[in-house]
Amino acid sequence: MEAAVNEPGLPVEIGQIDWELGRLWESSDDTKSRASLLNLVIYSELPEAMDSNTELIATIASQHAFRAILILADPQAATSGARAWISAHCHLADKGGHQICSEQITFRLDGESASSLPNIVFSHLDSDLPLCFWSQAEFREPLDEQLWTWVDRLIFDSATWRKPVEQFALAQKILSITDGGTVLCDLNWTRLHRWRLALANVFDHSAALACLQEITRVRIECALGERVKALLLLGWFSVQLGWRLQHLLSENFFLAKSGKQIEIEISEAEGAGITFVELSGEEFRFKLERPDAAGFFHASLHAPGIPDCTMTIGAGPDRPGDILLAELSRGGRHPLFAGALDAIRPLLPDMVARQ
Amino acid sequence: MPEPCTIVIFGATGDLTHRKLVPALYNLAADGALPPAMSVVGFARRDKSDEGFRNELEEAARKFSRQTINDGLWKSFAASISYHRSEFHDLAGYESLAARLAEMDAARGTRGNRLYYLASAPDQFEVILENLRKSGLNKAGDGGWARVIVEKPFGTDLPSARHLNDLVEGAFPEADTYRIDHYLGKETAQNIMVLRFANALFEAMWNARYIDHVQITASEPLGVEGRAGYYDKSGALRDMVQNHLLQLLCLTAMEPPTGLDADAIRDEKVKVLRSLRPLEGAEVSKHVIRGQYGAGAINGKRVAAYRDEANVDPESMTETFVALQVNVDNWRWAGVPFFVRVGKRLPKGGTEIAVHFKSVPPVLFKATGEAVDDNVLVIRIQPDEGVSLRMSAKMPGSSLRIEPVKMDFHYGTSFGKATPEAYERLLLDAMSGDATLFARRDEVEEAWKFVDSIRAAWKANPGDLAFYASGSWGPAEAEELTKRHGTTWRRL
Repeated sequence: MEAAVNEPGLPVEIGQIDWELGRLWESSDDTKSRASLLNLVIYSELPEAMDSNTELIATIASQHAFRAILILADPQAATSGARAWISAHCHLADKGGHQICSEQITFRLDGESASSLPNIVFSHLDSDLPLCFWSQAEFREPLDEQLWTWVDRLIFDSATWRKPVEQFALAQKILSITDGGTVLCDLNWTRLHRWRLALANVFDHSAALACLQEITRVRIECALGERVKALLLLGWFSVQLGWRLQHLLSENFFLAKSGKQIEIEISEAEGAGITFVELSGEEFRFKLERPDAAGFFHASLHAPGIPDCTMTIGAGPDRPGDILLAELSRGGRHPLFAGALDAIRPLLPDMVARQ
Repeated sequence: MPEPCTIVIFGATGDLTHRKLVPALYNLAADGALPPAMSVVGFARRDKSDEGFRNELEEAARKFSRQTINDGLWKSFAASISYHRSEFHDLAGYESLAARLAEMDAARGTRGNRLYYLASAPDQFEVILENLRKSGLNKAGDGGWARVIVEKPFGTDLPSARHLNDLVEGAFPEADTYRIDHYLGKETAQNIMVLRFANALFEAMWNARYIDHVQITASEPLGVEGRAGYYDKSGALRDMVQNHLLQLLCLTAMEPPTGLDADAIRDEKVKVLRSLRPLEGAEVSKHVIRGQYGAGAINGKRVAAYRDEANVDPESMTETFVALQVNVDNWRWAGVPFFVRVGKRLPKGGTEIAVHFKSVPPVLFKATGEAVDDNVLVIRIQPDEGVSLRMSAKMPGSSLRIEPVKMDFHYGTSFGKATPEAYERLLLDAMSGDATLFARRDEVEEAWKFVDSIRAAWKANPGDLAFYASGSWGPAEAEELTKRHGTTWRRL
């Protein structure tokens, strides 16, 4: 998997990085200031992801001041070696031409050197600032307890996982290592934010709101391989509406607070992400669609007491940089995600295995 | 400026002379801080000429000096350096040195002022001190002075430290004895007192009411390198904790001295050492963690385990890491633990004191679900000497999001001039007769008393050595130490 690596900055000796960074800032002109409010570590096992990640770091540097540590590891490489580069991302802070800059340290770790990940992270953090660690690779055992204990926000994207059941279990294990001190941030969940907003918006109407208690069926259509996202959305319904999962050998359904049974159906089709959500009861039907990853949702509602209506709701940007920005900007803990994940955890082995 | 004097360095061909002492003296000369009549005599066993000795020192100074060597200035500085060959045990060598120094006094007008620097291996201290006394070199001439600087380690335990102190005392009065701890010569270490006692903001809060705990860390990515022979006998506790780290603890914890003279400050430091709750017996395994590095990775490269290093006993039980909880049992610090850790083959190199303030009451922001980090004042001793203060700030935007931010002060950039090396300050102080930054006999002995009881417990229970991977932050057991207090080690 040896990939050609473009130079992502000034090549430096790993043991000299702090010194080189100091020199970099000393030699820069007075219009540039270094800023840092957090440490953002991005770990990938796809060496070819260097450019896309650097581009992503540059995008978010315009809104967050941080020290970015991009680590590209190839544990299977035949030869062992470690290299590093430093660079800076600057943007204009005001009309006076002053620039605010975030620094990026890029590492390429091949072969046995890939096992030095914890040391590379520990050695290069900006002290005292929170650590956000985005693992673009899958978690592997044995987990390095010391490393994960240091992570304040563990970012991952369950949409990219080949074995979500195992990976969620490992994420949970990390959480227990840190005594719940780490916040789990699933970008797959972050991507659902606009869906959740759109769904909530539609039910703002008081007559529509009453229908939420009458739901007997949920149907979600998602792109091939996107069942985890559909399940997380289902988990969100469960937490927000107080549904309890009935996980039986023959079938799975939710029980509403009223005792009403709610059928669930998740199907896959061509497209991207979630493409269609339908909530229905005996007398009402609500649909939310996002065809062809369009920049908007199309919603329709048929319910007693209100005229049938349709509406278009903006879906917001959802490029990788936008999603990471949304995650970093939101901060705080994610109790809703944790609740949604807990709610659908028993369904994961069955539902995801069908992918 | 100090009075003109002659500095005699015993063990002049060693590492310390080349890496630290001569570059420090050159920098002082370059800064115009030395009297022109000052001279340096290197005393060692190897056979070499004055010229050969100067050439070696020039090479080292070019490599290790913080200032670039100016050829003209070096030439004039080097003219003041000479070499005296003698065995340390050979009294005749000291007698010939005395004659040579007398000649130099006459020629250079150094007034009989002598500063003897014991930079040799510690096992030579005794014979050097004895011969200085026998040859009368310990006595100052009329109107002059004779002082001695003793490098660490100052003993290996309390009895040996007492023995060494007695020997020194037999040759030089306490007022002329300078026990060096180079940490105390660093600007930031000196700044601790200014920070504490010149800033109402901090002094008012420097007590158990506002401070939750203090962490003192000295970490380095290096292994034993060329010091295995010494280190394997010493270990981290004796190499670092007994001297450097306890000295930093004293500066952090001491009461305001009655004045800035050496004894006023040292009186307060000694009171701190006497207030340390002794760690004995079972308390040691509860409050002291010792570790030894195993194989691992540093900066992407594999490194060997301590026991596989050259000149290390393959079954060595020497600790390369120590973490301990120290309690200062006095009014100011009741209930405030001082967590001290030191280690080799750790991810980052640095020495710092981190004062962790107590949390704000868990109201107001608790409802928002925002975690508010405690304030931390960090005094960085090395590298990048400076001070930083962590506080919480609202992130710009419509929602209430609280994030930690840092206010940072760097010595390197704030004052527009280079920070002198610790040895420069300490040599200058010793030449000027200011012992403030040197340890007094009672300080050294109190520190040994504290450390010896830990070692005695280790000896009784040798099985509790924990191993850690090189490149990690030490054994997991060290995490438990802080966890018990509801905190974690600071991220350097």
